[in-house]
Amino acid sequence: MRHLRSPYNPIHIPLGFIIWSLWFVALYGGLSVACEVAAPPAEAAQWTWLNALLLAGTLAIVVLLAALTHGFWRASQRARQRPKERFVAWTAAGVNAIAALACVFIALPILSMPPCL
Amino acid sequence: MAREVAIIWWVMCGFSALVLVVISALWIHAMRRPHRTYSPAQAKRWHGFWIIGGGIVLPTASVVLLLIFGIPAGQHMLVLPVEGQQPLRIEITGHQWWWEVRYPDSGVVTANQLHLPAGQPVDLTVTSADVIHSFWVPRLGGKIDMVPGHHNQIRLQADEPGKHRGQCAEFCGTQHSRMVLYVEAHAPNDFARWIEARQERQIAPPPEPAGSLFVERCGICHSVAGISQGQRAPDLSDLGSRPTLGSGVLVNDSGAILRWLQEHQRLKPGTGMPSTDDVAPAELETIARWLEGLAP
Amino acid sequence: MSAPDTTRQPATDPEQLRDDFNAVWGNPRGWRALTIVNHTTIGLRFMVTGAVFFLIGGLLAMLIRTQLALPEQDIIAPDLYNQLFTMHGTVMMFLFAVPMMEGLAVYLIPKMIGARDLVFPRLSALGYYCYLFGGIILCSSMLWDIAPKAGWFMYTPLSSAAHTPGMNSDFWLLGITFVEISAVSAGVELVVSILRTRAPGMALNKMPIYAWYILVMAMMIVVGFPPLILGSILLELERAAGLPFFDVARGGDPVLWQHLFWLFGHPEVYIIFLPAAGIVSTLLPVFCQRPLVGYRWVVLGILTTGFISFGLWVHHMFTVGIPHLAQAFFSAASMLVAIPTGVQVFAWLATLWLGRPVYHVPMLWLVGFLIIFVCGGLTGVMLALVPFDWQVHDTHFVVAHMHYVLVGGMFFPLLAGLYHWLPHFSGRMPSERLGKWGFWLVFIGFNLTFLIMHWTGLMGMPRRIYTYETGLGWDMPNLVSSVGSFIMAAGIATVLLDIVLHFRFGQPAPENPWNADTLEWATCLPPSAYNFVSLPAVKGRHPLWDDPDLPRSIAAGEHSLAVIDHGRRETWGTDPLTGKPREIIHLPGNSWWPLIASLFIGVVCISLLVKVYPLAAVASIAAIIVLLRWSWENGAHPLAAPDAKVQPGDPPLHSRTQDGPGLWGMAVTLLANGALYLALLFGWFYLWTVSPNWQVPETQVFSPWLLLASALLLSLAYAWQRRALLRLRRGDDQGLAGHLWLTAALGLGHVALLLACLLGSELAPRSSAHDAVVTVMLVYSLLHGALACVLSALQALRVGYGYVSARSPYEPLVVEQWWGYSLCVLWVSFVALVLFPPTFGGG
Repeated sequence: MRHLRSPYNPIHIPLGFIIWSLWFVALYGGLSVACEVAAPPAEAAQWTWLNALLLAGTLAIVVLLAALTHGFWRASQRARQRPKERFVAWTAAGVNAIAALACVFIALPILSMPPCL
Repeated sequence: MAREVAIIWWVMCGFSALVLVVISALWIHAMRRPHRTYSPAQAKRWHGFWIIGGGIVLPTASVVLLLIFGIPAGQHMLVLPVEGQQPLRIEITGHQWWWEVRYPDSGVVTANQLHLPAGQPVDLTVTSADVIHSFWVPRLGGKIDMVPGHHNQIRLQADEPGKHRGQCAEFCGTQHSRMVLYVEAHAPNDFARWIEARQERQIAPPPEPAGSLFVERCGICHSVAGISQGQRAPDLSDLGSRPTLGSGVLVNDSGAILRWLQEHQRLKPGTGMPSTDDVAPAELETIARWLEGLAP
Repeated sequence: MSAPDTTRQPATDPEQLRDDFNAVWGNPRGWRALTIVNHTTIGLRFMVTGAVFFLIGGLLAMLIRTQLALPEQDIIAPDLYNQLFTMHGTVMMFLFAVPMMEGLAVYLIPKMIGARDLVFPRLSALGYYCYLFGGIILCSSMLWDIAPKAGWFMYTPLSSAAHTPGMNSDFWLLGITFVEISAVSAGVELVVSILRTRAPGMALNKMPIYAWYILVMAMMIVVGFPPLILGSILLELERAAGLPFFDVARGGDPVLWQHLFWLFGHPEVYIIFLPAAGIVSTLLPVFCQRPLVGYRWVVLGILTTGFISFGLWVHHMFTVGIPHLAQAFFSAASMLVAIPTGVQVFAWLATLWLGRPVYHVPMLWLVGFLIIFVCGGLTGVMLALVPFDWQVHDTHFVVAHMHYVLVGGMFFPLLAGLYHWLPHFSGRMPSERLGKWGFWLVFIGFNLTFLIMHWTGLMGMPRRIYTYETGLGWDMPNLVSSVGSFIMAAGIATVLLDIVLHFRFGQPAPENPWNADTLEWATCLPPSAYNFVSLPAVKGRHPLWDDPDLPRSIAAGEHSLAVIDHGRRETWGTDPLTGKPREIIHLPGNSWWPLIASLFIGVVCISLLVKVYPLAAVASIAAIIVLLRWSWENGAHPLAAPDAKVQPGDPPLHSRTQDGPGLWGMAVTLLANGALYLALLFGWFYLWTVSPNWQVPETQVFSPWLLLASALLLSLAYAWQRRALLRLRRGDDQGLAGHLWLTAALGLGHVALLLACLLGSELAPRSSAHDAVVTVMLVYSLLHGALACVLSALQALRVGYGYVSARSPYEPLVVEQWWGYSLCVLWVSFVALVLFPPTFGGG
């Protein structure tokens, strides 16, 4: 087995999706809890602190995933001559990229909907 | 609302049919066309074309479009605050297997029928007394579950006066199939008259001995304004005016109430109403005739 | 570790080799056939049993369609009808689709990745018997007219004791949980097998694409089934013991059940679809005679599907009244999942485009799959749109959509695969003519039944109704659907006839009849119990295209591990990334233990059903004793590995290393266990925030100090054991037995404190959901702690017998993971039960 921190360790392949899952749980859980505890007024439509918070969190995660994508992509370029390593790093980069796009896509409705109705 | 969904449906249906036909045609064409040999570079171009173009760009563009056009369509059913006059409130409670309908503003209670004013939004609050049911009037819009302990809200609007059919949409046990709601939208004046006719009514009990029989046997579960207070079964105060009996089982024409009183276990097996075989036919007839007359 | 000798060895007489291998691996006949653990046999048993349940489920569907053919029919009474559709869904999902796909994977995976068997063969056998007995128990309920009747989704409160008294729901909850043991155990086994037993040189990027699909499917089972197992346990506790998890009046919430159910239920769809897509991705390249286009993209697509599909569950619950923004998240995620599927569809198209397609019956089923599945996928995207879903949710539109996805996405590829691998099962080729008739009847019948059903749903016909009035416009489409369903049934009968006849009349299959590329075609047809006499090294993704001579050289024993005189069943344990051999895995042989264990579990299940709890307790203890007894003959036990000698140059046996398959099996099992615990934790927080009548007691009802003391003692026990095992890893087994005994004793102290905490508490689990959840969390830790003690005590004993030592340090390392897990769980519970409530308005 390779060292855990090596970008060619296959354990990193699902990393992006694990981050995505945690983000998704936090998004849904955070929204639900916030709506139970301190629901913003319905009149404010989407212009609430809650929408802003969810959006900021999403942005942070997207930046993290983009950085990871970049890192794994560079690693896959470095391993051009080693197909096994290249495969792992390429797939991990792809997973991170997809996770980042998924975050953006799923978070789109935050821009247009009141949070707690 | 329902019209918007219908438009969305037809657009999606047309687009999907197109996608299905194109993909199937491509697939079959790919199988049948004469074989060509490709150089690795050509093959690589095809890989990119199909996988990036067909597999990623096409579905991504489609779902982004769908999301952008689709999400606003749902906004109308949100119970958003409105300026000016507040929408009429109606409370509906699902029971196995009937609908309890209350108009909290006027105190009117009825069952298995929902009357509402046309041309204005109505806020429904739904819940359940036993298992999960789902409120759904296809012509008026989407459905909302009636969950015990929860009070879900939905805003509906009937654009024109008219009659509609609603039916429980969440499987709720033996007679899930026989849980139909009669819905009628009235012009606002007619609706006001409908409500008024049901307020502050004085109802005379049936002649004795049917009168006390009714209170003892039926009144435990059924309520009739001023006569009995049962809560388990539908309110009967305006039974004679309802279009159906047993939540859509029987058309409420002449003699139907008597038939229901005698045969309900056969007409709707599993219904909570106990058998009336031990009641003298004459008393049943008296009660049935009296109930038929409860038509404000 | 030294590199193994995978070069060609001098050939011995193939006949002699075969006989020698059969002596070790061969399947017994007669009653002893029940002891077989071999994956080929177990896989076939899974599939044949699955086919029988499919026919039962199909029969139920025919009855449903008969009843609905005309309006106002009363052929079938309402309660019976409710049993029929409940059982149709249940049988098809739990007893046909998942076990069938798992059975095929159990059969194929070792052969495809060049191994001799799955890595835990006895677990396969246990899984099969659990499936068989669970299925029989569940279906037997129909004979007495007490089958489950609250829908295959068992929504509370309809399925609870108040509204469905009698045993109906209990059959479902207990039977399905029993069957799920099988699903999860097969899942664990497939994950570990794929990661750790591939042929030498089969790196991650050279795995057959089917193995990727199965790897992700198996992981999804491991993570996706536990929420439902937990839900079933909680609901059964509510029904049988009155713990009110889902009862609003006492602080529960019926919507929690829906969350738990669909947390499982949505991934379930992909658990069924992914292996079927794997069949497509395996077959198409063979029938196009070129590699699959976009292997890496497809792998990415599989992974994406596997993860994103866990973020969709709420789209089954769009009408329960969840905030609309939250619904929008799930709506977007549901649309997103179309993209990886699109990538696969176009990868298949490109393969066809660039390949040289040939026509055989399997191809016909693949085309049928594409058309039906794409249609189902498109209606799926429509349903993801919230306002549209509000309109058609719980109508026949959804029934149609779901059948397009499942029949198109699972049944058609399955049939393609069945025809493709028929020569493998029988050694004979399928017919062309009858097979084509069968296909067209099924295809036409299916579309006739379900295409028009979209329309029926749009016209407003809800699901699960036993009859309907005339005059609503539903009469004609229902009649068409019923006629179509009978055509489809005729088609399935034709296919069945074709397959049965082919066993008798089919042409004998030549070697590798379709000129396929994967290793399962390098076995003899039908295959022997050990698959390969010698295990070849693999250099590319298409071993048989690279070296068409492989079947012969394998049979001649020219590759590795071709020695059998040691009497061990062996296969390679390889590196998960590179496929480089790390150890020789010696596999257990045939045994009665799996059958006996599953019989006891069956007794537990039945006695819970008929509410004879003392018997259930006795049988549980018996089952645990059997399982522990079974575990005794493992590792370095003389019966498991008579001697530790290996060929010069070969790596050691796994029981003599610090990293064998058991370690991975335990890790994956704990992942499943963790998913179950997380679901419980989710329930706790969910009820806390959402439940309408949630009540927190004024004062702490159990002693937090006892819980803290118990957790500290467990930490001490873990630390003590860890210290001893670190020394063991370095080759020092001085006083190992003593340390393990002490660990077990400390653990026992922890259990005693926990028990004191539980018994000394004022918990009233029957009167409030709060107390019920607390009780379940404490009992969960109690059981884990108790089992940890028993396992470490057994390890201490094994040190005494010499089965565990510095030379064979493997087993305590496996047990250590259990301790670590129990420790984490207890501390998390402590935080959730003691530290969290005050921050959230609790006592």
